[in-house]
Amino acid sequence: MALLTDILPGAASPPLLTGKTGPAAVGGDAFDSGMWPSHRQEFLGDPAVWRNDPAVTVLAPGAAEDSSHVPFLIDATAVTRPIRRIVVTIDYSPFPKAIVFHPGRALPLLGFGVKYEVGGALRASAETGAAEWLVGAAYVSALGGGCSAPAAAHQRPDWQEGFGELRARLWPETGRLRMRLRHPQDTGLADGIPAHHLTELALLDASGAEIATLELHEPLEENPALTFLLPPDLARGPVIIHARDNLGYTFEGRVEATP
Amino acid sequence: MTALSRRALLAGSAALVLQRRAFAQPRSYGLQPFEVADGIWMIEGRREVFSRENGGDIVNIALLATDQGAIIVDSGSTVAMGTEIRAFAEQRLGGLAATINTHHHPDHWFGNAALADRPLLALAETAATCREYAQDYAETLYSILGSWISGTRTTPATGNIDPGTSQIGGRALRMIPLAGHTSADLAILDEATGVLIAGDLVFLDRAPSLPDADFATWLASLDQLEGLGSAGVVPGHGSYHRTGEGITQTRAYLQVTRERLRMAAELGLTPVETMAAGPAPEFAGLGANPEEYLRSVVRRFGDLETGALPVIGSA
Repeated sequence: MALLTDILPGAASPPLLTGKTGPAAVGGDAFDSGMWPSHRQEFLGDPAVWRNDPAVTVLAPGAAEDSSHVPFLIDATAVTRPIRRIVVTIDYSPFPKAIVFHPGRALPLLGFGVKYEVGGALRASAETGAAEWLVGAAYVSALGGGCSAPAAAHQRPDWQEGFGELRARLWPETGRLRMRLRHPQDTGLADGIPAHHLTELALLDASGAEIATLELHEPLEENPALTFLLPPDLARGPVIIHARDNLGYTFEGRVEATP
Repeated sequence: MTALSRRALLAGSAALVLQRRAFAQPRSYGLQPFEVADGIWMIEGRREVFSRENGGDIVNIALLATDQGAIIVDSGSTVAMGTEIRAFAEQRLGGLAATINTHHHPDHWFGNAALADRPLLALAETAATCREYAQDYAETLYSILGSWISGTRTTPATGNIDPGTSQIGGRALRMIPLAGHTSADLAILDEATGVLIAGDLVFLDRAPSLPDADFATWLASLDQLEGLGSAGVVPGHGSYHRTGEGITQTRAYLQVTRERLRMAAELGLTPVETMAAGPAPEFAGLGANPEEYLRSVVRRFGDLETGALPVIGSA
């Protein structure tokens, strides 16, 4: 099991958040309803073969405590075939396409946070080598406003201070890489604040070869934190993190396991 | 259409409107004030988070008898709740002298609308944060509470509380400005009885809410409250008690929860996995858990993660 929930002492059993399938995964309506047919067409290229599959687990709290930071964890490590990419879409968002994750040499697990404009499901669609899509989802109730509100950073006159600060750490024993980047992630919907958000992020090995890449869009939270899962041969590092935003700023750092 | 049938139709629709109003009429809270010390009354809220079932009756209210009527400390979650609290003050305590809000969370001041013809008092910082978050809180509570909150206009305090002893209606109250649960938390010590009205700095058998918390500041405030040696404590949520158990339990909850989040961040967990693991087992059974724990992870995980993730680059 790729999840680390159980390593926290006294972890609840069963865990408080578990993966769901069918109507329960999307808020009670049929899985194939609402914006899904249109998003499937637009963002997956209208595939002939797709299905809701429990091997793609999407975990999230049932209710958003903060519409600007709704945490998610996608775990597709139970899928037996190789995964080319995982397309993350939000059913009811002004920016439905949130992330495209190409796991490459990393495992298909991704932790992240997004902004929610109204309650709805977030779906993770994994394209396998066999040209089929396996889809998981989690519904989050939210009052919203997460995409149209200004970033918290703009409440401070010195918001640019610390901009671009990159933090990261590797845990070789579990294969985890966690990173956080100071970035306002402005969607462009808040009055008078132009769009300023990350567009791509890559993990590279010591030789500069790609491990995994992310295509990033407006819904990613302010000061985004991301979790990856690396196989043992990569989990000690060094891993180079390289990111770019829509205004041309680039961000880079190198992380290595401490001996 | 004839005039007659039009009138009949209008009458019919008016009747429908009336029916719908009657249906939407909020139920009564049935609040039950009881005297905990000489001239100090308390209404104990349920140990739950906001829900359509409890209508926001989740918070403790204190009423202090004075020569000029009652001082109400914290006014509840809705105008209907404020109205019920006021009715008790009018009937049993000789009217309403003033209302004090201990901090800016909406269950402590949304009842102000029913009390606004008498002074509404709070720390200046509290009044400012009430104004800042009024709209957000109103939207949230309307969606959760439904008809319970009908007619509630957000009415932040307009009068300032200064630190030190104030005389209101002949009752001496020591106003102690602290922080940690929020950016401004007022505790009140009644000089005559030695009873401490602690606001949300103290919880008992109900999980503390941490969305605006600063762990270190809150713990320092608890030390200060402990130093007062009060005769009894009205906590913000949970039962009246004459021992130090509320302070002790709140301190333990903060220390254990902070350590749990810090450990999760040190082990490389995501917030979602940290939520899934649930609260520390010794606090899993507290009222309002696991809901409060889940909120705490969303709001506080980042603070503790900063120490777990080294800086590896800057723009």
